[in-house]
Amino acid sequence: MTLLEAVPTTTAAPAQFPTVLLSAMVWVPAIAAIALLFFPARTDLHRGRIRSFVLATTGVVLGLGVVMWYGFRDQTGTYAYEETRGWLPSIGSSYHLGVDGVSMPLLLLSAFLFVFAVLASTRVREQPKEYFVLLLILETGVNGVFASLDYLLFFLFWQLQAVPMFLLIARFGGPRRLKAAWKFLAVDLAGSALLLLAILILYFKAPVRTFDIVTLHDVTLPAALATMICWLFFIAFAVRLPVLPFHTGFIDAQAQAPAPIGLVLTGLTVKLGGYGIIRVNVGEFQDAWHKIVGAVVVIAVVTVLWAAIAALAQDDLRRLIGYIVMSHMGLVLLGAASAAPVAVNGAVLLMLADGLTAALLVLLAAAIIERANTSSIAAMGGIAGRMGRGAALWVLAALAAIGFPGLAGFIGQLLIVLGAYPSHRIATPLAVLGILLVSGAMIWAVQRILFGALPERHGRIRDLGTLELANGVGLISLIVLLGVLPAILMDSINFSVITLLSRGGG
Amino acid sequence: MTLTLLAAAPKGPLDTWSPTLFALFALLLPLIALLIILAFTIDSRRLSAAIAVIFTLATVICAVIVVAIELAHPLHLERNGTFLQFFTGQSGAANEFILQWGVLADPLAAVMLLTVSLVSLLVQVYALGSIRREDGPIRFFCVLLLATFAMIGVTLSTTYFELLLFFGVTTLSTYLMIGHWWQREDATAAASRAFIVSAIGDVGLLIGIAYIYFRFNELNFQTLAGQYTGGKVSGNGLFIMSILVFIGAAAKSAQFPLHIWLPGSAQAPAPAAALIHSAGSALCGVYLIARAYALFHASPRGLALLAIIGGLTAVLGVVWALFQDNLKRAIAFTTMSELGLMVLALSIGAYGAGVFEVFTQAWPKALLFLAAGVIIRELRTERMAEMGGLWQRMRFTGWITLIAVAAAAGVPPFSSFWSKDAILSKALAIGSLPAIALITAVTLLGTIALVRVFMLVFMGETARRRRFEPERIRDATGRVAVAMVIFAVACVVAGLRGFRGRTDPIGFVTFPGVPISNSHFVAAGTIAVAALVGAAIGWALFSRRRRPMAGLEPVRRVVAEGFFLDRAYRLAAAGALLPAGRASGWIETRVVDGALDLVSESVGFAGQPRRWLGDARLRQLLIGLFAGVVILAVVTILLAGRLIGKTG
Repeated sequence: MTLLEAVPTTTAAPAQFPTVLLSAMVWVPAIAAIALLFFPARTDLHRGRIRSFVLATTGVVLGLGVVMWYGFRDQTGTYAYEETRGWLPSIGSSYHLGVDGVSMPLLLLSAFLFVFAVLASTRVREQPKEYFVLLLILETGVNGVFASLDYLLFFLFWQLQAVPMFLLIARFGGPRRLKAAWKFLAVDLAGSALLLLAILILYFKAPVRTFDIVTLHDVTLPAALATMICWLFFIAFAVRLPVLPFHTGFIDAQAQAPAPIGLVLTGLTVKLGGYGIIRVNVGEFQDAWHKIVGAVVVIAVVTVLWAAIAALAQDDLRRLIGYIVMSHMGLVLLGAASAAPVAVNGAVLLMLADGLTAALLVLLAAAIIERANTSSIAAMGGIAGRMGRGAALWVLAALAAIGFPGLAGFIGQLLIVLGAYPSHRIATPLAVLGILLVSGAMIWAVQRILFGALPERHGRIRDLGTLELANGVGLISLIVLLGVLPAILMDSINFSVITLLSRGGG
Repeated sequence: MTLTLLAAAPKGPLDTWSPTLFALFALLLPLIALLIILAFTIDSRRLSAAIAVIFTLATVICAVIVVAIELAHPLHLERNGTFLQFFTGQSGAANEFILQWGVLADPLAAVMLLTVSLVSLLVQVYALGSIRREDGPIRFFCVLLLATFAMIGVTLSTTYFELLLFFGVTTLSTYLMIGHWWQREDATAAASRAFIVSAIGDVGLLIGIAYIYFRFNELNFQTLAGQYTGGKVSGNGLFIMSILVFIGAAAKSAQFPLHIWLPGSAQAPAPAAALIHSAGSALCGVYLIARAYALFHASPRGLALLAIIGGLTAVLGVVWALFQDNLKRAIAFTTMSELGLMVLALSIGAYGAGVFEVFTQAWPKALLFLAAGVIIRELRTERMAEMGGLWQRMRFTGWITLIAVAAAAGVPPFSSFWSKDAILSKALAIGSLPAIALITAVTLLGTIALVRVFMLVFMGETARRRRFEPERIRDATGRVAVAMVIFAVACVVAGLRGFRGRTDPIGFVTFPGVPISNSHFVAAGTIAVAALVGAAIGWALFSRRRRPMAGLEPVRRVVAEGFFLDRAYRLAAAGALLPAGRASGWIETRVVDGALDLVSESVGFAGQPRRWLGDARLRQLLIGLFAGVVILAVVTILLAGRLIGKTG
C-alpha cells in the first residue's frame, strides 16, 4: 500500500522516537474499542474483564503520553512528533499529526483524565460494554483534536468526540438526561456547523488548495475575509468553551452526566474550545484576532462574572461545578485575547489546572451526592463528621478551584492577570473580581456541605472508599505538583507560545 | 551585654554564619514538621504534638540566631531562588519573566521572625495542656504548624509574589483555625467570613502586584524600594499602588472597612486565637506596610490614607470594645484598636516604634486570649455578665490577666508603655496635633476597655446560674500555667529599651530617610498618665456591677454590634449578589433555554429519536455507528487509492 507509507517530515525530528507515537495515542483507544465489541459481557466476571481491558488501554495511552512529555523537552522545531501521510491528496488534505507546547500538555492531561474516568466508572451496571466502547471512542476523538494539524482531520475528530459524548449522556446520565443531551448536541452541532463553514471558506478562498494548518499559516488572505473567518472560528470554539449565551447546554449536560463522563466533559471537552482558540485564532489569525479582541474581552469578562454570580446562587452541586469551570474558561479566554506571552502561558496552564481541578470536584461531588442522595447543597450539611477523608479532599479541591497558592490554578490565574493587565487595564480587574466571587461561592458551598450539625438522615454515610480516595489523592498530587513545580511544563509551553505569537500570520 | 561584645569583636562566628541560611531553616522547619505528621504520625496524638513542639523549638533557636547575627551586623541579606522563569520574546535577553522566591534577613524580618516563632511555640505548649482528645488535637497542631509556616513565609518574603503566596496560606490557616470546631454554625460562618475578607484583600493585592509589575517589571521589595521615586510612575500611580497594597494589608490587619472578620476570629480555640491576634494573620498587614514602606514613603497621599484609616480603626476598635459583653470579642476589638495604632504609627514615620509596638503587643494579647481560654473553659460561658468574682477562685489567672492588661494598656513599666511612648515621641517630634490627640485618647480609652474586662471578670460577685457551681472552678495548672508564666515574663521584659544604637529596639529596625526621634519625657509622662488615669476610671466605673441605664440601651446595642456594619455587609451581599444570581438563573432558563428548546423542537429530530434512544437499542445504534465509520474508512481508502493510482 503506497497510501500508508510515511512521508518524510520536513522538520528535523527532535528526538529519536518513532513518529507513530501520536498515531498510537489517537488510535489505540479506537482499536481497543473495536476489540471490545467482541468481548462477552454476560457475567460480572466478563464485566470486570472489560473494565480491566479498558483501564489497560488508557494506561497504555498514558504511558505513551509520558514518553511524549519526556521526549518533548529538547525539541527545537515548531511541532514535535510530526507525522504526515498522504490521505486525500486530491483535495489537499493529509493525515498530519503533531504537537507543540500548547497541545502537548493538554494531550497529557487527556491521557491522565481518561485513566481517572475509567477508574471512576465503577457504577456502570447495565451495558458496560457499550459504555466503555463509547468512552474509548471519545478518547480517540479528544486526542485526535489535540494532535491533528490538518483542518479537515481536526474537524473529523471534533465530530468524533461530540457523538459519543452525546450518547454517553443520553444513555447513562441522570433523570433528565435526554433533554440535557439533546440540548448539548444542538448547541454543539451549531458550533460545528460554523467550524465547518470557517474551514471551507478558508479552503476555497486560500490560493493553495490545502487543509494543512502549517501550510495555510503562510497564506495571506484579504483582511476582511480573515476577520470573518476568525469570527467564525471564534464562535465555533466559544460555543464549546462555553461563553455566555451558549453555556446552558454545557451546564445541563454537566448536571446530568454520570460522574466519569462529567469528568471528561468539564475536564477535557471544554478545553477543546480553549485549545482551538489558542491554536487557530491566536496562532493562525493573529492580525484578524487583534481586530476582534475588543469584543472578545468583553465576552470573556461577562462570562467570568456571569458564571461567578450564577455560582453564588446555585443550589445544585453539579451545576455549581459547571459554573466554576465556565468562569475559569472565561479567564482562559481573557488570557488568549490579550495575546501577551505571559497571559497565553497562563491560559494554557489554567486549562491544565482547571482540567485536573474540575475532574476532582466532579468525582468528589458524585461521591457526596451518591451518599447524601441529593444534589441540593441546602439539603446537605455536617457531612465532614461522617466523611473525614472526603472532607479533607473537598477542602483541597475547593482551594484548587479558587486558585489557592501552591496549587495549580494559582500560577495560571496569576500569569493571566499579570499578562493581561498591561493591555486590558479595566477588564483584568473585573475578571479578578470574578475570581473573588468564585472564592466566595466555593467557600460558602464548602461551609454548607461539610460543616455544621449533621442531619439525622445523613447518619449512616460512609467515608470515601479506597478507590475513590486513591483517585482523589492522585488528582490532588498532580494539582500540587503543577502548582509547586510549574516549570516542568512551562518551558515547553512558553517555547511554543512564543513561536505561536512571534511568527505573525494572516 | 554579650551582644554588644559580639558586635564589637572584629571576627566572631557571626561574621561567617549566614543569617539567610538560618532564616531558611526557620521557614522550612514547620513545614517539615507538618509533612512528617501528615505522613507518619497522623494516628498518634503524643508523637504529633511532640514533633510539632520540637520543630517549633528548633525554629525559635534559628530565629534567635538570626536576631543575634542581625544585632551584630544589621544588614539586608537575601537568598533568592527562581520559582518560574521564561523569556517573553524570541531573542533571549530581551524580556524575561521571572518569579522569585527567597528568604531575607534584615532587622525587621528578624524581629518578626522571633515574635512569630516564640509565640507559636508557647501557644503550642499551652495547647498541649488545653486541647482535649475530642477537640481534634492532631488536626489542631497541624493547623498551628501551617499557620506558623505561613507567617514565617510572609515575614521572610523577598518579593510581592512570594508574599501573595504566603498571604494565601495565611488565609487558609486562619480559616482552618477559626473553623476548628466545625460543628458550630457560628464558628464556620466566622471562618468563611474571615476567608472571604482575606480573599478580598488578596485580590486587591493581586491587582496591585499586576500594576507594580506592569510599571516596574520587578517584584522584589529591595529592588523596588529604590525605584518608586525614580520618576517612572506619577504621584497618582504611586497613590493607586499604595491603595491596592493597603487593601491587602487592611483585610489582614482588620483596618476599618475590612475589620469584620476580627471579632469572629475569637471563635477559634484559645491558643489559635492567641496566635492570630498576637503574631498571626492579624499582624500580616502591618508587616506588609512595614515591608513595602518605600512605596508609602514615596506617596504622601498613601501615608495620609494610612493615617486616616489607622486612626479611625484605633478609635472605633476601642469604642466597640467598651461595649462588648462577650469576653473574647472585647479583647478582639482591643486588638483591632492596637492594629490601627500600629498603622497610624507607621504613617507618621514612627517606623521602628511601630514595629516595636507589634513586638510589645504580641505577648499581652496572646496572654489575654490564653487567660480567656482558661476562664471560659471553667465557667462555660463567654458572657462577661455571667462572670465576676473570679479573683477569689482563680488567683493565678487573675494575676496573669492583670499583668497582661497592664502590658497591653501601656502602664509603666510594662511592655507596650515603651513602644507607645516611642510612637508619641515621634508624633511630638513632627508636631502633629491630631496624631498626638489620637494616641493619647486611644491609650486612655484602651486602658479603660481593658480594665473593664478585668473588673467584670475578676471583681464583684460570681453571677449565679443554673447548673453551675462556682465552687468547682479550678485555676490553670501544668503546661497551661507554664506557657502563661513565660508570656507574663515577656510582658514585663519585652519593652526593655537597651543601650543606644542598635540594641535599642527602636534604633534596631530603621527605614532609610525616616529619622528616629528619641524618647521624650513629655511623651513618656503623657502615656503613663493616660494609662493610669484610664485604669482609675475603669476601676471606678466598673468596680460595681450595675445595670446599664435603660435609656442608653439602644445606643449600647448599636455600638456593641459594631454599628451593624457586619450585618449591613451581609445584607448588601445577599441583597445584591443572590438576586443577581437568581436573575441570571431566570434568564438562563427562560430566555436562553427557551430559545434552545424552540430550536431543538422545531427541528423535529428531537421528538422521535428521544423515545427511540431511551430503550435498549443503543447497541444497534453503536453497531450502526461503527458500520458507518468502517464504511467511510473503506470508501475513503478505496477512493484515495484510486486517485493516487490515477495521479501516480
